[in-house]
Amino acid sequence: MMQPKAPNREDLGQTWSYLEAGVEKIMKDLQTGVDMTTYMGVYTAVHNFCTSQKAVNSSPQALHNSGAVHRGAHLLGEDLYQNLIGYLKKHLTALKDEAYGHADEALLALYIRDWDRYTTAAKYINHLFRYLNRHWVKREMDEGKKNIYDVYTLHLVRWRLDLFDHVQKYVMDGVLKLVEKQRNGETIETAMVKSIVDSFVSLGLDESDSSKSTLDVYRQFFEKPFLEATTAYYQMESKQFVAENSVVEYMKKAETRLAEEEGRVQMYLHPDIYGPLMKTCQKVLIQEHAPLLREEFQVLLDNDRQSDLQRMYNLLSRIPDGLEPLRTKFEAHVRRAGTSAVDKIADEGGDNLDPKVYVDALLEVHTQYQNLVNVAFKGEAEFVRSLDNACREFVNRNKVCKSASTKSPELLAKYADSLLRKSAKSAEESDLENKLSAIMTVFKYVEDKDVFQKFYSKMLAKRLVNFTSASDDAETSMIGKLKEACGFEYTNKLQRMFQDMQISKDLNDNYKAWLEEKGESASNGVDFSCQVLGTSFWPLNPPTTPFNIPEVIVQTYTRFVEFYNGKHNGRKLTWLWHLCKGELKASYCKATKTPYTFQVSTYQMAMLLLFNDATKISYEEFEKSTGLSKEYMEPALAVFLKARVLTISPPGSKIGPGTQYSLNFDFKSKKIRVNLNMAVRAEQKQEVEETHKTIEEDRKLLMQSAIVRIMKARKVLKHVVLVQETIGQIKSRFTPKIPDIKKCIDILLEKEYLERLDGERLDTGYLA
Amino acid sequence: MSEIKLLSSDQATITVEKSVAERSILIKNMLEDVGEVTEAIPIPNVNENVLKKVIEWCEHHKGDPPAQADDDSDSRKKSSDIDEWDQKFMQVDQEMLFEIILAANYLDIKPLLDVGCKTVANMIKGKSPEEIRKTFNIQNDFTPDEEEQIRRENEWAEESVPRSQPLDIDEAC
Repeated sequence: MMQPKAPNREDLGQTWSYLEAGVEKIMKDLQTGVDMTTYMGVYTAVHNFCTSQKAVNSSPQALHNSGAVHRGAHLLGEDLYQNLIGYLKKHLTALKDEAYGHADEALLALYIRDWDRYTTAAKYINHLFRYLNRHWVKREMDEGKKNIYDVYTLHLVRWRLDLFDHVQKYVMDGVLKLVEKQRNGETIETAMVKSIVDSFVSLGLDESDSSKSTLDVYRQFFEKPFLEATTAYYQMESKQFVAENSVVEYMKKAETRLAEEEGRVQMYLHPDIYGPLMKTCQKVLIQEHAPLLREEFQVLLDNDRQSDLQRMYNLLSRIPDGLEPLRTKFEAHVRRAGTSAVDKIADEGGDNLDPKVYVDALLEVHTQYQNLVNVAFKGEAEFVRSLDNACREFVNRNKVCKSASTKSPELLAKYADSLLRKSAKSAEESDLENKLSAIMTVFKYVEDKDVFQKFYSKMLAKRLVNFTSASDDAETSMIGKLKEACGFEYTNKLQRMFQDMQISKDLNDNYKAWLEEKGESASNGVDFSCQVLGTSFWPLNPPTTPFNIPEVIVQTYTRFVEFYNGKHNGRKLTWLWHLCKGELKASYCKATKTPYTFQVSTYQMAMLLLFNDATKISYEEFEKSTGLSKEYMEPALAVFLKARVLTISPPGSKIGPGTQYSLNFDFKSKKIRVNLNMAVRAEQKQEVEETHKTIEEDRKLLMQSAIVRIMKARKVLKHVVLVQETIGQIKSRFTPKIPDIKKCIDILLEKEYLERLDGERLDTGYLA
Repeated sequence: MSEIKLLSSDQATITVEKSVAERSILIKNMLEDVGEVTEAIPIPNVNENVLKKVIEWCEHHKGDPPAQADDDSDSRKKSSDIDEWDQKFMQVDQEMLFEIILAANYLDIKPLLDVGCKTVANMIKGKSPEEIRKTFNIQNDFTPDEEEQIRRENEWAEESVPRSQPLDIDEAC
């Protein structure tokens, strides 16, 4: 190619027409490539013009204007800059007119084609006019002139002013139609939208720094109409869909739509729109239908539709305050479920409700809804709290607890006892551990934890004294769990009971050694062992009946007392005969060669031992010899009669004064060991009542000690505050009633632990 | 290592390593925009002697980190230090010195332009106007009145050390 003649460097007209030809070629015919000669020619022409001396005169006005600002050297270039602007205006106006002749996708295609060509050309021209950028433009910008840009930016500015402002509305219409098509399920050229987005973003110029861009243009002309169209589209669609479909179907639809929009952002939208677009969609698709969704919540709960509940959770969790109403409903629902589960078993079980059935019923409800919370509600903390609230309600207030709120902990403790006691159907080790953990689940919700403690320690004592505990490991594990839940103090006594058992074992060994040392035979016809238990740790009461110790064991009895007093001077031994037991060999029976062994209580033993000297003994003789009161003697006789160890005469008469009892020599049993030591139901019931009574007493003490503790620390306190702090301290054990606390304060005032500082005001002071 | 050819204004062809030639932003942009070229690149504003000199400088500095696009930091402007090799390189007659500066400006080789301007600035440093005129062979075209007025306007600067800031290329010319 021939190199066009280089223009006279001092002639603006010549120079510009040379430059314009180059620029025009780049703008319109870049595909064929720019040849090197033209490239260098144009660059050189710009350079030469800007460095020419005389061209100054060709633009006297420019010289005049800028000459005042900076004396000395004047930079040439303004003429080129203005001419370039003129060219761009002309070029863009032509493009604009062409664009007016197109619409929709054709317009988009045209816009994108023009934009690509224009911006590519702009990069070239920017390089070619680099000399202008480096000197004239730079100087102008350094001096703070507005509206002067480097050549590339100038291209963008002109595009915006001469084309974009005129056609953007139609372009956007095209984009929105395209997107709507896609939302309607058609396939579209997504790259087109992406190009438009990129173009809009590029047009956002930062006025303060041309090397940076802002999203202003994009936000105003793309994002805003896009969001408006989105709102309109989904408002229409969702309204229609809801009218024709179920709520569950709608939730599926909304979920799909939200996912689609998310995908749309990733596929061809600007990442900046993610937040606003999601917010818009959530508002239209969820917020505006939230009441409808929430209405459905109860239906879904009632039918246990986990996946639909999960769907609802996911949707409503996306809008502000979307879940709160669900939590309230959920809590009420779980409470109802728990209450009705208890109602059912309460009706079936009546008075003799099996603790296992009760606890299982509670657990079943809890497990079901905990599972729901974990799966459908992602274990969200607020839902967990609602679940806890509901469980606390139905565990403490239900039909079974109607008579007394202490019923729950009582039954729970009994269930624990049934698990930990030796029995035929002892659970597997791991299974047992699971069940104990389950107990703790319910225990967590029990308000009257002190009641549980009472019953538990009673039953633990029984298990230990009677050696009926199934496994030491399980016992330790359970106490560990309780300790973890309620602290050291709560389980202190339980642990001490275990210690006493160990100490007693050693004591028995020592006793045997002591006997051998004294040269006495250990047995002396009677095998003996005992446990010495600390009165303050064990929930055991001394016997309530007088008792004459049978002749046969008197010696054993006195020898142990001698041994123990020698070891621990000053300690008082109380013999709990009602908890003692023994075994008797019955060698009198005719029916078998091997003698039967009777397992009996000490009281029963005392009664049977009388038959060593007689075969027939009257009611009155029993009474006189054993010294037992009839509350203990009569049930024992009943057991003997029922087991046919004794016979009554006259036959068939009721146990009472005037009756006679003979040994049954024809006694038969399938087993060699016969257990006659059976607790009597009446006895058990009485025990439960007693336990409840002691609970009331203990609570009073607990409250009083809390009050004293608080006052000791605070010295003077308002009455109201004192009551509140007391509740705070006691809450972990049981929920105290305010009148009870007031009663306790009165008691302490009476005992002069506290004093009322002013007759009028209710301040209280502590008296040391 | 690819090589390209440059064609000086007096039609001499000089072969040079591409990476060396690309110290000139003009050539670098051109190669990027136009693509690979086989013909010699016309450099219509620079003659062979000057172009060789410029290439010599580029060869020496080819390992330098590329200059920042718009490094206008004060340190670059203020420091009148020139490294030893560059000082030696610039020990040429005044004619050549100005030719190098013009070429550096045209070819867009900012570091070379800086070195050239600093060299000129150092020539001015510490000289009286009369001496400066002598150094650069400038005719005094001020009338005595004009001269007096300028002196008065610049009185504030007289006491202190003469300004050592390098002048912009246009001012130096």
